[in-house]
Amino acid sequence: MPDAESSKPVSKPDAVLAGLARLRALAAQFATQAPSVELAESAVELEPQTEPAPAAEPLVEPEPEPKPSPKSESASDAVVAVRPTLSHDLEAASGDIVLEVRGLSKGFGDTVAVNDIHLNVRAGVFYGIVGPNGAGKTTTLSMITGLLRPDSGTASVNGVNVWDSPEVAKRSIGVLPDRLRIFDRLTGSQLLYYSGVLRGLDAPEVRKRSADLATAFGLDDVMGRLVSDYSSGMLKKVALAAAMIHSPRLLVLDEPFESVDPVSAATVTRILKQYVDAGGTVLLSSHRMELVQRVCSHVAVIVEGTLLADGTIDEVRNGMSLEDRFVQLTGKNSSGGGLEWLSSFSD
Amino acid sequence: MVEQFLRLKLTLLANTFRRGPLIASSMALVMLYSAVLFIIAIVAVASLRETTPEIAGVTLVVFGSIVLFGFLIMPLGWNADDPLDPRRFSYLPVSRLHLALLLLLGGAVSIPTIMLIGLGVAQVVAWSGGAASALIAVLSALIVILTAVVGARLSSLIAARYLSTRRLREAFGIIAVTVVIASLPLVVFLALSDYQSQVLPALRRAAAVLEWTPLGAAFSAPAASAAGDSGEVLAKLSISLGFLAVLAAGWYLLIGYVLSRPERSAVETYRSGLGWFRLMPATPLGAIAARSLSYWARDARYFVALAAIPIIPIGMVAALLVGGIGADVIAWIPVPVMCLFLGWSAHNDVAHDNTALWTHVSAHTHGADDRWGRIVPGLLVGIPLAIVGSIITVTVVGNVVALPGLIGLSLCVLFAGLGVSSVSSAAFPYAAPLPGHGAFIQPQALVSNAATVQSFTFALSALFAVPVLGVVFFNPFTELQPNWAAFLVGVPLGLIVLVIGVYWGGRIMVRRGPELLALSSQN
Repeated sequence: MPDAESSKPVSKPDAVLAGLARLRALAAQFATQAPSVELAESAVELEPQTEPAPAAEPLVEPEPEPKPSPKSESASDAVVAVRPTLSHDLEAASGDIVLEVRGLSKGFGDTVAVNDIHLNVRAGVFYGIVGPNGAGKTTTLSMITGLLRPDSGTASVNGVNVWDSPEVAKRSIGVLPDRLRIFDRLTGSQLLYYSGVLRGLDAPEVRKRSADLATAFGLDDVMGRLVSDYSSGMLKKVALAAAMIHSPRLLVLDEPFESVDPVSAATVTRILKQYVDAGGTVLLSSHRMELVQRVCSHVAVIVEGTLLADGTIDEVRNGMSLEDRFVQLTGKNSSGGGLEWLSSFSD
Repeated sequence: MVEQFLRLKLTLLANTFRRGPLIASSMALVMLYSAVLFIIAIVAVASLRETTPEIAGVTLVVFGSIVLFGFLIMPLGWNADDPLDPRRFSYLPVSRLHLALLLLLGGAVSIPTIMLIGLGVAQVVAWSGGAASALIAVLSALIVILTAVVGARLSSLIAARYLSTRRLREAFGIIAVTVVIASLPLVVFLALSDYQSQVLPALRRAAAVLEWTPLGAAFSAPAASAAGDSGEVLAKLSISLGFLAVLAAGWYLLIGYVLSRPERSAVETYRSGLGWFRLMPATPLGAIAARSLSYWARDARYFVALAAIPIIPIGMVAALLVGGIGADVIAWIPVPVMCLFLGWSAHNDVAHDNTALWTHVSAHTHGADDRWGRIVPGLLVGIPLAIVGSIITVTVVGNVVALPGLIGLSLCVLFAGLGVSSVSSAAFPYAAPLPGHGAFIQPQALVSNAATVQSFTFALSALFAVPVLGVVFFNPFTELQPNWAAFLVGVPLGLIVLVIGVYWGGRIMVRRGPELLALSSQN
């Protein structure tokens, strides 16, 4: 176990701590999973974000961490402990763009679901996409992850076009779709094993990672149950674990906090923050504004398929709370009028 | 309210035929088949009038008990949601007694009940020799019909309540299918043996017990009346009336219980370990194969369809036997037909994944890995079936020379069927039952090409049997024994189709992955 974890305030249960520690080491290893062509650059992006201490801090603190790049303390941290050979040459690429979206558009019949969206997501960023129901968030994320073919535009991960070279690009992406089924007649451990092996991991590695993920997400007790018997919150967590098992460079999560209870949401947030601190990038969609404001460093607002604003949280919210700014941007604050009959009760 | 219930039930009956052409036509076949059986049974029962009261009594007690037992037990294994589940009507502003009666009425409007009424009438005809016994027969027919209706409702309620876990219900369904298959030889044996000398003694022994059980008591009351024993008549009628009262009370009480308790959640079973995943190699292909195998074992959509496969050739063989076709020709039917259906059963595999397919799309799984993995269960079951089944067939028929030809034909249609399925499940998926539903619940779809794809893939798979059969019966390779020639033609032919199918289907799969996913989410 990497010793970096010893610096944590020891208030969390041991099991979770241990799981987190292993998970952190795991996240740090993702460079080795990247295709060999990009091995050099992938090593590059690891380190600059890995401020060791803040990772462990209480997650309620709303401070949206600014770019951590200037603090170039060269890591005494998990990454080094696990992969000492990768720790050189780590400064250069802190500003690397992990995800580049250029003019993505998609229509279904006559309706335009997504209209010419441009996004740049840098490495080590916790990026939130917010928007009202039906704004095109899921459509956008599906096109980025290679699950839905766009009408026009491109999405590139690490400079690799998702739709031209999916076999390379998809290796660096971990996906948590919303409202798509998973193979729920498998047990939790079978599902994680399945996801890991499909991503090309070998059996001992998958077993080790599944155990770590189960511990970190608090799923240890239910790993032997059929996923179809899970509650919806457990379902989200196991799907998230399955998305992370191949230690992708970019996690694309559609509504990861929907139907997740507050305690689990805190666990998930903590795990994701650690992942980001270790150099990973998270792109998530949500309509829980206060959560996005607290967790994410950057945010994009999509309304009716169009990108209305993007940037750091502070840039976008412009002095207001994110929620107020969001309502202002969407320009719709429906009055609730026309329901007068509702106050004349029927009995 | 009564009128609405009757209309609801009639609509439900009519809707049985509106679930796609394949289901409608097979339902029509089943109904035609049962109508024929029904008429034969009615005529047989009515003609018991010509025999002695003793023979009529014994026969009616035994077969009547079996019918009544069927009414009580079949709903337990019925692998579908009960449309007349009391919980669905709990919001109606009617009293519990009223609801209980309405549901009984709804349950009574069903094809089995109509048949039972016919049987009751025939039974009255059988006893119409004497006025007293005819009167008792009317009475016992009424009791039997009421018992069947109430008992069937009670068992469906018990099934919905206590067999609600998927596993239990599926287990029950399999037991039911097994019992039906296992009883077929018994029926053939009965049909072939002499009724008077061989069957009747056995029936007498069974009837001696059954006539005093609630199942047989009502059926034997008219016989007792014909024999002039009014004390026995009274005793038997009270036994059957008592049973009816117990069932009715149970029905009424259970409705109250079900309506006032929350739905029972499934018992969760804990499985340690990885199951099939441990046995298969840790490659994408192995994992997909292990996943398919787990689904074959756990998902009703797969194993109910599979359980039907052995039944089809039994029906074909029976029909051909009746038609007087020789055993040397019939020997070529059962095993190849089973292999054909086994290979064909994978033709819509991708659609069965529903939107879970995204896992493969987002991992960019190799097409061939995906295709091979999905057909591994078919190969694991099919190859032993082809070999062992062929050995059994030639042993039964006594034509050992045909063994290589039979194996060659079976493997050929198995491989070819899997090859065709590999292409069609990627190229022409159609709306499949959703995960968690039964195998025969066809989803609603505006436009479904189900019938076209089903018949086309089936015909194409069957087509590959033609050259092999041609070699067997008109051997062009004169220097070879025809059966060995068939083996040498069949196996490579099947393998070639299989490999082409897998790689072609795999390419389609990868190229059209996102489109397949979009299709499955409309489903």
